Amino acid sequence: MGEVYIEMLTSPGCANCPAVKKLLKELTAELKDDITVEEVDITVEPTRAAQYGVMSVPAVAINGILKFVGVPKREELKKAIMDELEA
Amino acid sequence: MSKEEKRVGVFICHCGKNIAGGVDINALLEYARQLKGVVVAEDNRFSCSEEGQSSIQEAVKQHNLNRLVVTACDPALHLATFQRCGEQVGVNPAFTELIDVRKWTMHGSPQKVDPAQALENSKRLMAQTVKRIRLKRVIPKVEVKVEPSVLVIGGGIAGVEASLDLVDKGYKAYLVERLPTIGGKMALLYKVFPTNDCAPCILAPKTAYANMHTNITLLTNSEVTSVKGYVGNFKVNVLKRPRFVDEKKCTGCAICVEKCPAKALDNEFLAGTGQHKAVYIPFPQAIPRKAIIDKEACLYFQKGVCKVCEKFCPADAIDFEQKPENIELRVGAVIVATGFKEYDPSAKKEYGYGQYSNVVTQLQLARILDIDGPTKGKLLRPSDGKEPKTVLMIQCVGSREEKGNTYCSAVCCMYALKHAQIIKEMVLPDAEISIAYTDMRTPGKGFEEYYRQTRDLGVTFLRGKPSQIIEDPETKNLLVRVEDTFIGQPVTVDADLVVLSCAMEPSQGTKQLAELLRIEIDKDGWFKEIHPKLKPVETNIRGIYICGCAQGPKDIPDAIVQAKAAASCADSELRKGKIMLPEFMVKAANAS
Repeated sequence: MGEVYIEMLTSPGCANCPAVKKLLKELTAELKDDITVEEVDITVEPTRAAQYGVMSVPAVAINGILKFVGVPKREELKKAIMDELEA
Repeated sequence: MSKEEKRVGVFICHCGKNIAGGVDINALLEYARQLKGVVVAEDNRFSCSEEGQSSIQEAVKQHNLNRLVVTACDPALHLATFQRCGEQVGVNPAFTELIDVRKWTMHGSPQKVDPAQALENSKRLMAQTVKRIRLKRVIPKVEVKVEPSVLVIGGGIAGVEASLDLVDKGYKAYLVERLPTIGGKMALLYKVFPTNDCAPCILAPKTAYANMHTNITLLTNSEVTSVKGYVGNFKVNVLKRPRFVDEKKCTGCAICVEKCPAKALDNEFLAGTGQHKAVYIPFPQAIPRKAIIDKEACLYFQKGVCKVCEKFCPADAIDFEQKPENIELRVGAVIVATGFKEYDPSAKKEYGYGQYSNVVTQLQLARILDIDGPTKGKLLRPSDGKEPKTVLMIQCVGSREEKGNTYCSAVCCMYALKHAQIIKEMVLPDAEISIAYTDMRTPGKGFEEYYRQTRDLGVTFLRGKPSQIIEDPETKNLLVRVEDTFIGQPVTVDADLVVLSCAMEPSQGTKQLAELLRIEIDKDGWFKEIHPKLKPVETNIRGIYICGCAQGPKDIPDAIVQAKAAASCADSELRKGKIMLPEFMVKAANAS
């Protein structure tokens, strides 16, 4: 079983973050692997956002690599997670 | 993904009793040891101490660790300490994490919880972090060149000081000011405490030097409209609004001002206490000393007639056809020095500001007392132009309130004392001056002595916040009701002139600018520094710094200190001429 650590960068009042959260929730349920999703509030932990060079939310980093800024398509997000699971 | 074995070391700091007193360290150690990838878990009384760091380094060598999780305090405080500690023994700084459990265990921490809950929270955070660091890969970085120039937004004393420091360090500075002249609020203060120096006199050498320095580009009557990019390479658009006067040709002779027949109420430079002509030079020491046409008041723009200024201008500088101009800049860093605005007290109906003509603000009083102001330095009350015999100042108007601005504006006590001294010593020695205060706060260098001097001049101090002002409709004199909290009795004070010591508030457009720059503002609307003690001028965006009253209420020396700090931070970031940045950041900015 593969392992993935997903950081979802968010902030209070972020309009598009709930859509990404929902997608991630669905995909973690669907993929059954060892997937951890952490929501990182960049207003509380600005250094976490800064290390990726992210200036807007939502953004998604998988295993330490920034993959998406904005709302990804479901299939793209799924593929990115699968790639990491198999890596 | 690298197939190298991930060997994680967990190091739990007691922080004396700060952590050990609020969570079961042994339970946490045991929990750490069974996490996947953890090779060793140790505790230490003070991990940040020399001894603590060397024990981490020992463990790295002994167990061949390549991932470190230090369980201690706020990463903003000590992450760099442990990254350096690990790096010395070959651990990539990207693979050292510091997690904050102290916030749950330390007495006095707002997030403190009971020990069982703290253990629960710490376990969860630790498990998460160990997994994250085990799977984490190094964020790819690229080297980029930086622009050796800085955008400074706001031409008050802080912005001017930052610009001058930057050019001294060898950079080019673009100083953008919304108003037609630099100098900001300091130019309006007449005198400054605690030395009672003439404000324009000590400001002018700096503004004049900024104006003539070849490496400072002044963009007055201008606003920043967009900022894109990243530290080292910001792309900035500035909108320069038309002055309708050619800056290159205008000599500042002011013949146009003399001849212009139209007048308008001046809110910026006379603080609503006087008028200027439709074409005007804001004040005598304005920099640049160039005329500007107020479109709203100009007869040509409003009615299509006049053009007297054009007729008389000896330099042929009047240009009614001037259009707004968009200026593109590339800069390596941005310094925000947008200052403050005075609180509008008309919302406080009980004080009758705007309704009673003899109720003014301290900034208006400064203009009235100024020898270059509308009354040429005579203290005349607005209703009848007579000298007031009694003056009452009310402190904390719009500051230290339960509803509204909860903060202390830091300078009101001092500027009230200053104006009381000026009136007593130079203008109307016989006037009776009272100050109705909440607490007198004079903590700066030489400030307590200044307070004592003012008391020695015979100024009366009355502790209490007035609840109501009533105007005599005939004489326009004012009756002020206040409870003297020392004797616990309501008293009524007669005053010919009431002066409101109004709060400082974030200047107009702060919120929009914050959105433009993607930097944060705090709950009171000021720009937010990244750490209130240790990083007072840095923001959440690398390469963007704040200084002066844009960050919060402060006096001139503090604003200057911050301006110098901001310039120094920009210098530290840019001085190598190149910078390592996350690849994503550079790609995303280049794509947009």
